[in-house]
Parts: sequence; C-alpha cells; structure tokens
Amino acid sequence: MAALLRGLRAGRALRGLGSVVATPTATTPQCSSLRRGFHCAALRLQDESKSDKPPSSSSTTYHEHYQAHSTEQDTTAASQEDSASDPAAETASGPNTSYQDQSGEQGEEYETEEQLQARILTAALEFVPQHGWSMEAIAAGAETLGLSSASTGMFYNGAGDLVLHFITHCNSQLTEILAEQHKQVQLGQAEPKETADFLRDAIETRLRMYIPYIETWPQAMSILLLPHNIPDSLKHLSTLVDDIWYYAGDRSTDMNWYTKRAALTGIYNTTELVMVQDSSPDFQDTWNFLDNRIQDVVNMATTAKQVECVVSLKNLTGLNQRR
Amino acid sequence: MQRAAHTALYDWSQIVGPAVIRRCLKCRATLQQSSRAFSVIPPPRDSEEKEMLDRILRVDHAGEYGASRIYAGQMAVLGRTRTGPLIQEMWDQEKKHLEKFNEILAENRIRPTALLPLWNIAGFVLGASTALLGKEGAMACTVAVEESISEHYNSQIRALMEKDPERYTELLKIIKEFRDDEMDHHDTGLEHDAETLPGYWLLKNAIQLGCKAAIYVSQRV
Repeated sequence: MAALLRGLRAGRALRGLGSVVATPTATTPQCSSLRRGFHCAALRLQDESKSDKPPSSSSTTYHEHYQAHSTEQDTTAASQEDSASDPAAETASGPNTSYQDQSGEQGEEYETEEQLQARILTAALEFVPQHGWSMEAIAAGAETLGLSSASTGMFYNGAGDLVLHFITHCNSQLTEILAEQHKQVQLGQAEPKETADFLRDAIETRLRMYIPYIETWPQAMSILLLPHNIPDSLKHLSTLVDDIWYYAGDRSTDMNWYTKRAALTGIYNTTELVMVQDSSPDFQDTWNFLDNRIQDVVNMATTAKQVECVVSLKNLTGLNQRR
Repeated sequence: MQRAAHTALYDWSQIVGPAVIRRCLKCRATLQQSSRAFSVIPPPRDSEEKEMLDRILRVDHAGEYGASRIYAGQMAVLGRTRTGPLIQEMWDQEKKHLEKFNEILAENRIRPTALLPLWNIAGFVLGASTALLGKEGAMACTVAVEESISEHYNSQIRALMEKDPERYTELLKIIKEFRDDEMDHHDTGLEHDAETLPGYWLLKNAIQLGCKAAIYVSQRV
C-alpha cells in the first residue's frame, strides 16, 4: 500500500518534470497510459536492477494501467501477462507523457518503439539459421537483449517484420557501399566503371548479403510473397533498383527510366532465384548467370539502336523529311 | 548528454523506417551538394514534403513535354506557312522549359510520369488536328492550353507560397518565370485571331477539360 502511494506521488512528480527526466530516480520511468504500458514494461525489465521497489501485487489489470500512475505493477505484469498483444502499444513513441521529444533522441535510457523493434529484429537475425524466419527467432533475439519473449507480440506481422527488416538493412548497406564508391570516383581516387560492370558488381554485392541465410532464404521469399507483404516488398525492391541505377549514372527522365528499372528488376529477381538453388562453390554459377543476363540486356540495348528497320520506317512515313 | 549522443549514434545504425529514408535522403542530398553549388528544390525534410515536391515537378515536367509535342504537331501541319516562325519560336521556349525540368527531375531523382508515351501521342495529335483547322485553330489550341497551364502554375505558386515561401524561393522563381512565358504565348495566340475560329468556345473548353484531366492523372501515375 505504501509502495502504491509512493508510486502515485512519484508518478505525479515525474509527469510535472516532463521530458527532463533522464536520471533514474527512486521510481522507474513512469508510464501513465495504456499505450505506453508494454513499452515501459520492456524497459523496466532492463531497469530492474536499478529499482529499489519490490514489485507489488501481481494481479494487475488493464484498468489499473489506465487509471493508476503507479509503476511497480508493470514490473511483474510484464513477465506474466500478454499485454504485448495490446494494439495501442504500437503507437507509442516515447515512454514519458511529454510530447516534446518524439524523435527518439531523448535521455540516455529512452528509445522509441521503432528503435526497440529494430534492436530486437537485428538480434533475432542470428537465430534465423536455427529457427528459420519465424516468431521463435524473434523471441530468441528478444531474450538475448534481456527482454521477455512476450515482446514478440509487438510484431503483428511476425516473420514478415523480420524479413522486411533484414531487406531494409541490406538495402541501406548497399546504398552506403555505392555512395562510398561514388565518392571515391568523384574524388578521382577510383576509375568509373562501365555500366554493365557496375550493375553486375552492385547486384553481386547485394545478393552476397544473403549468403549467411541462404538455407532459409526460400522461406523468406515465400513470406515476402504473402499478399499483405507484397506492397512493402515491392517498395523495397523498387527503391533498391532505383538506387542502383542512380549510382550507375542513370539520369533519364523519359520512358527509359521505366524500362531500365524493369530490366534490372527482372535480372535481380531471376538471379536471386538461381542463387537459392545454386550449389556450386562460392555460388559461381549464380554470378555466371548474372553476367549472362546483364550481357543480354546490354546487347538488346545496342541492337535496338542499330536496328535498320526503325530508320527505314521513318523514311517511309516521311518523318525524316526536313521541313 | 554525451551518453545520449553515443546511444543515439549506436542506435542510428540499427534504426530502420523513417531513419532509413532520412539516411537515403542524406546520401542523395550529399550527392546534390557535391554536383551543384545550389539546387532548385531544397532537400526534403520528410517523406510528405518529398511526395508533394515530386508531384509538383512530375506534373510540370509532363506539362512541358505535352506542350512541346503540341507545338510539334502544329509545326508538322503549319510549319511551312506564314505562322511557321511564330509557332517555332513558341516551341523553342517550351523546349527550354522542358530541358530545365529534365535537369531538376534527374538531379532530385524524381520519377517521371509513366504516361509520357500517351502525352507524346495525344499532344502531337491535338496540335496537328487543331492546326488542320487553319491558323486560327492552332492559335485557339494554343490559347486554351496556355491558359490551363498558367492557371495550373498559379495554383502551384499559391500552394508553395502558403507552405513556406523562403524555403522554395528558387522553385517559385522558376515557376513564376515559366508562367509568365506561358501567359505570353496565351496573349500571342489571342493576338493572332484565335477567337475568330468558329466553335472557339467549344474547342477551348474541350481542350481545357482534357488538360485538367491530364494534370490530375500525371500527378499520380
């Protein structure tokens, strides 16, 4: 009871201070709304050692979360209940009620929901070879961070979240590598590559990021093809292809914009499919396949320019006449 | 405070979502800065602004491309008549506009509208068919199209001014300049007996309706 009253008082005091609270006080970070309930629970598990309050009653309910400003109850609640499946928790962007620092760069111990999810998913990646792209991997990842495996409830899309996170991570790595190469070329420290070579290297680099997970990659691909994942996976694919072409030097503003990206998407997808079935040493067959596909596209492009019939068609219809 | 920065930096490498967009924009912004001293549009602060600017520039690019094709169609029919040089002059100005937008699109990695082939054909057909009605027909088409475009530029200028005039000064300058050019073309069309065309009112409204539809679609597709 005394603990409850202390918690209430502290909660009110903390609310008054707003976002200034960064140092651990007698109480753990307060969370006075249901929306923050789960997030605070996760944090509290980390802060358990700092707290000097024994967890009080474990018969917490959602109503108490709503009304009470006490915080100890959440500690035990977190390890037991399924509040993780609470949909409102997803929309929280910070553990305190002040709306000033919603960008996530608050005090040292606070992080946004997204950052937390990202950390869990990154940790989960090392369990993928073992558990596949699944909730078990996410749960294992959460446990390595010291969080309860109930934190998997944060991920509505389950395995889809994990795969999409991995894809985004790979894409941003590739963008960094390409930007670095671009900088080198601009500084004159490296020679600019031929378009075909550049595309081949970019796709090879990107596909090599799948090698540690190649055993389970077919499962990931099928997850990406699920209807609710298709918009996201298409978006990531189009960003990837756009980035590669941009760094390859494409600055077209007509239909070439579309045809180039369509061609590269085709090359990338087929090469990925070949890769998951490839058993040659260091995936040499895949890279040969990639070479051939890129060569095909290059040939098609040069042939289109050279095709005679376009010119004679123009002559026939009088479009070449000078006016 | 240092620990906060340290944690923020550590988490920075883990963050996905809006932060990735920010990072990609940072990469893109650095590229812009390295290739030009200044850019016409400011690096977008968030994906909403990026989408708004994308739409504005995509439809402007499509508009100039269409206008260029309309004049090409008119030239194909009237190129060797007395009005030829006049149409050629207006066409050259449109080509300059198109070049400018090509530059902006390429620099800022904006996707051009997928309907460009459609505007290619539709513009040429419109220009050629109105020119077949004679010089007055061509001028009436010019008046209708230029009026639509000017109105469209004006609404864009209003929208940008409402948002943040200082942030978009360069872009506003360009749009204003192009709008003034289009108004000149409009006035030229009127000077050269556009209104004497029988059915002028009908043709003008039909063309303007088509332009409105084209603008609506090009913003999105």
